[in-house]
Amino acid sequence: MNKQKDTMRVKLKRNLAGIGLGLFVGGALALPASDLETPAIQSSLAANYLLLDVDEAGDRLVAVGARGHVVYSDDQGKNWTQSDVPVSVMLTSVDFVNERKGWAVGHAGVILHTEDGGATWRKQFDGNMANEFVIEGARERVAALEEELALAEEIVAEAEGSSDAKLKARASEYDLDEMAFILEDATFALEDAEIDAESGAAKPLLSVQFLDENVGFTVGAFGFFFYTEDGGATWQYGASKIENTDRFHLNAVSQIDESTVAIAGEAGQIFLSRDRGATWESLESPYEGSFFGIGPTGNEGGMIVYGLRGNTFASNDYGANWEPLELDISETLMSSDTTGNGRISLVGNGGMLLLSRDGGETFTAHPREDRKALLGVRFLAADRLLLVGEDGISLIREVSRLN
Amino acid sequence: MANKLHDHGDHFITTPKAEPFLERVIFNNRLIILILFMGITAFLGYQMTQIKPDASFERLIPLKHEFIQNMMENRDDLENLGNYINIAVAVKDGDVFNEEYMETLKQITDEVFFLAGVDRAGVKSLWTPNVRWVEVTEQGFQGGTVIPDGYDGSANSLAKLRQNVLRSGDGIRLMADNFQSTLIYAPLMETNPETGESLDYKAFSQELEAKIRDKYEAQNPNIEIHIVGFAKKVGDLIEGIKSIAYFALITLVLALVLLILYARCIAGALIPIFSSFVAVVWQLGLLNLLGYGLDPYSVLVPFLVFAIGISHGVQIVNQAGAEAAKGYDSLTSARLAFRALYIPGMLALLSDAIGFLTLLLIEIDVIQGLAVAASIGVAVIIITNLVLHPVILSYTGITKSGIRHAKNLEEKVDKKWVWMSYFAHPSVAPISVLIAIVGTGLGFYYKQDLKIGDLDQGAPELRADSRYNLDNKFIIDNYSSSSDVMVIMVKTEPQACSSYPVLRAIDRLQWTLENTPGVQSTGSLVTVSKIVTKALNEGSFKWYELSPSQRVINSSIQRAPSGLLNTDCSMTPVVAYLEDHKAETLKTVVASIQEFSKDYEGESFRFLLAAGNAGVDAATNEVIEAAKDQMLLLVYAVVSTLCFITFRSIRAVICIVTPLGLTSILCEALMAQLGIGIKVETLPVIALGVGIGVDYGIYIYTKFEKVLLEGRSLQDAYYETLRTTGRAVMFTGITLGLGVITWIFSPIKFQANMGLLLFFMFLWNMIGALWLLPALARFLLNPEKMVAKARAAEAKMA
Repeated sequence: MNKQKDTMRVKLKRNLAGIGLGLFVGGALALPASDLETPAIQSSLAANYLLLDVDEAGDRLVAVGARGHVVYSDDQGKNWTQSDVPVSVMLTSVDFVNERKGWAVGHAGVILHTEDGGATWRKQFDGNMANEFVIEGARERVAALEEELALAEEIVAEAEGSSDAKLKARASEYDLDEMAFILEDATFALEDAEIDAESGAAKPLLSVQFLDENVGFTVGAFGFFFYTEDGGATWQYGASKIENTDRFHLNAVSQIDESTVAIAGEAGQIFLSRDRGATWESLESPYEGSFFGIGPTGNEGGMIVYGLRGNTFASNDYGANWEPLELDISETLMSSDTTGNGRISLVGNGGMLLLSRDGGETFTAHPREDRKALLGVRFLAADRLLLVGEDGISLIREVSRLN
Repeated sequence: MANKLHDHGDHFITTPKAEPFLERVIFNNRLIILILFMGITAFLGYQMTQIKPDASFERLIPLKHEFIQNMMENRDDLENLGNYINIAVAVKDGDVFNEEYMETLKQITDEVFFLAGVDRAGVKSLWTPNVRWVEVTEQGFQGGTVIPDGYDGSANSLAKLRQNVLRSGDGIRLMADNFQSTLIYAPLMETNPETGESLDYKAFSQELEAKIRDKYEAQNPNIEIHIVGFAKKVGDLIEGIKSIAYFALITLVLALVLLILYARCIAGALIPIFSSFVAVVWQLGLLNLLGYGLDPYSVLVPFLVFAIGISHGVQIVNQAGAEAAKGYDSLTSARLAFRALYIPGMLALLSDAIGFLTLLLIEIDVIQGLAVAASIGVAVIIITNLVLHPVILSYTGITKSGIRHAKNLEEKVDKKWVWMSYFAHPSVAPISVLIAIVGTGLGFYYKQDLKIGDLDQGAPELRADSRYNLDNKFIIDNYSSSSDVMVIMVKTEPQACSSYPVLRAIDRLQWTLENTPGVQSTGSLVTVSKIVTKALNEGSFKWYELSPSQRVINSSIQRAPSGLLNTDCSMTPVVAYLEDHKAETLKTVVASIQEFSKDYEGESFRFLLAAGNAGVDAATNEVIEAAKDQMLLLVYAVVSTLCFITFRSIRAVICIVTPLGLTSILCEALMAQLGIGIKVETLPVIALGVGIGVDYGIYIYTKFEKVLLEGRSLQDAYYETLRTTGRAVMFTGITLGLGVITWIFSPIKFQANMGLLLFFMFLWNMIGALWLLPALARFLLNPEKMVAKARAAEAKMA
């Protein structure tokens, strides 16, 4: 199935790439040809336009969104200032480790870094670099598989002409057809990666999480997974650390506790690292649909994972066992926050806002009347809740009255 | 008797010898002329009954403007962006999720579907199969019509319906924000593809009223129907124009009564009205012969023709009465009246006609139609009121009571005229001139606020509290949609309309527009691409972005609505929804787009302005703004030149034209202060005002000059002018002013505005001619020199 699809994809891409060459004949450009080189436009609408994530940098709130918008507030969400951002691609996620240092990721594989609490940003990484990593990774994989296959073929050939039972037994372990398939797959993946690279930086990073000033992770479309151990000075391709050979979208990466990090993605994928990202394991998934977010519940070993059509699962044992939550909603959930004392908020499409004050045992639903999507959420001091989404910032006062 | 001095004086339009000739031709063949007139009137009367209402969209727009040409070139590819109707079916109590409402909605949807003129495939309502919901599930897409399968009106299926509506993009658009009404959207076809006939807006609008509004509001007392759209608006306009018949009647009766009071003679009252009426018949008949129809704007013209006809008729009655009072018989009085008035009459009417023709400068069909109609009308008056009128009068004569009245006036020294003659007095004149200068200054100060275009929301042609505008307000208040749309056409090389560089530029344009004051929202192929890319990624907003990958773009726009790209993919529209169509808003938006497109000069694609109603309005405003001063300049140039040719004196021209100039300036100041913008319907009034006003000045000046040449002093001569010609001018100004002021009760706002402006023009031009002209004459004219010059000319002739 998958192979067939991939083959088709390759052919399609080739055809379109051909057409594409014909199309891109233009005159002198007044603007840089790519949004990666075009600074975000300053706009008074930025705080009221599509925003996708929000984080705290000390007392400051920083939200990111479409068209390279970054806005920050020093008065707990009342007034917002737009930052200077060197790109105008959509930024999908933001994470701060202290009041100065933070990272934002987004489309075209961009990673931005700030050292002044989000006022100004500098590009650390982009999709063109990501493409090289991916091609390199795919090439290494093809090479490794070719080597493996060659070795297997040698052994099988040798076993055929031999009566050595041990050798025969070893040869029978190899399924040469299967191995050829896998190699073919990997070759397609390499071709894919090379063709992708032709259309430039086209794939988005969807989530970013730092554990401290040095160690951070970012995940994205088609299995994008990069990590750094030096605060983003250098980024490394981490796809080989997790089992995601189908290159499913990785939608979210979140810190669960001091040393635990979790990744959730398409097709129910959940990956967990208990050693600050050194090693990763694939968790048994309770769901075959997509997850869009994963986060802590505030309890020891407590995690909550959520996604398509409101499907939400909770675990008390670092994901060994998952229990479905009966939320009775059909809106896709995108983001969550917790205070640590049992209060959890979940937000999503269709203006859905869910609140729990018992560590996720029960939730009450408070959908927005205009059904505008909510995409990021943050509990603030003084019983307030900050929401970002389809039409920018909104603030709920006296949130404890809601449930 | 003809005045020798006068005849051999300054007039050269017709040679002195021609005067008796023309007079002879007419008055020696009175019967033939009458029969000829009867025949022509019968023929043109028949033609008049054949005249058709003509309110096509294209006639209202400046077809030669760049914006409109761009729109017309791409009109086949711009799928019905303008011509549609929206019908909101609202409940009075509760919300729409009940069985009765849904049943009514279904019936109305069916009814709309079968209305002639509706493009059936495009009709959208909760009940049409093209309104669907789609949802991403673990298995892929899932969807259906918003009316659930097996809908039976039960609480259960209504709950399901509610859910479906909320997860359908179209469903949400058709549903009011408060769930108390839903829309039926019906695109219209300008021409019927089967018969090739163009849409009859009047009939269509009446059908909407009868078959939709009246029928279903009666059938289900819990619902209310609101209808908006260009077709409905035009229908309502045509409906409203009917009321002009009442105003015509009022004007007619008013003119008759005042004329009787004025002339104290039935014949003297009826003949001007009759001749003017004949002029209207001729004008309408000729219009039909020339292939013009009657649109909401040119209905004004018959009024104008009638008014001008009366104005000249009164002069003739006045003059004939005065001659009869001297003891001449009917025929001689009529001949003498003709002899005295045909030159100023023809001059005045010629100035009118040419003045109206300057409206041809504005390249909008309705205004050009107005120019032609008004010019024809005025040309016709030359024949009817300067020939027919004196001929009839030569048969009937002025009645005894009329002659007695004229005699009384002749003998009586009226305090009013004595008093007014002081306007020519050396100590009063400077004060008048000073007042005029101050008035001009004030006029210039207050007309600074004068705006081009519409200043109000909704349909500006109709009153704010009209049914249509209330319906419009209802829909604007309850739905997140704007009725003011500007479309930018993005023209590319073939097959390039969806390429990434083009779409990226469009994306930036949309953001620029959304940041422009007055723009509510925008839409384009990019919007579709973003929405679909998001949908293909399971509805995650993190994918609401234009992908630089052409492959992703192509798959995202596979099912884009056909109006968003043309067959060879060389044009794609960007739609901006505006808060209103005020001139200021349009100007800002247009400037913003033009500024933006500068960044893309030299690219292989271009941003072309502009279609949509707001694009058309923007173009119209530009045309009017450019033509306005040019037109006024030309009107004044024509009027001044004609006056100069006739009177051979720059001083005469200044005396006649200055009061008009003051009126024009004050009129613009008045418009600015009343919030009436310069637009298609008010611009002609400014030009027409000059044309009508000049009549007064010409008659007054002609008489004034004539008396002066008899050797009388300025004030004395002016007294003489006032009690004869001045009396007629004053009467005309008041009568016509009162006649048009009734228009302010018209249900159509632009007629009300026109009425108000014309009232001001009629009245103030009269005041200007009677008050300012003599004051200027005091400064400019030297009676002794004039007499000397005339004597010299006479001597030379001899």
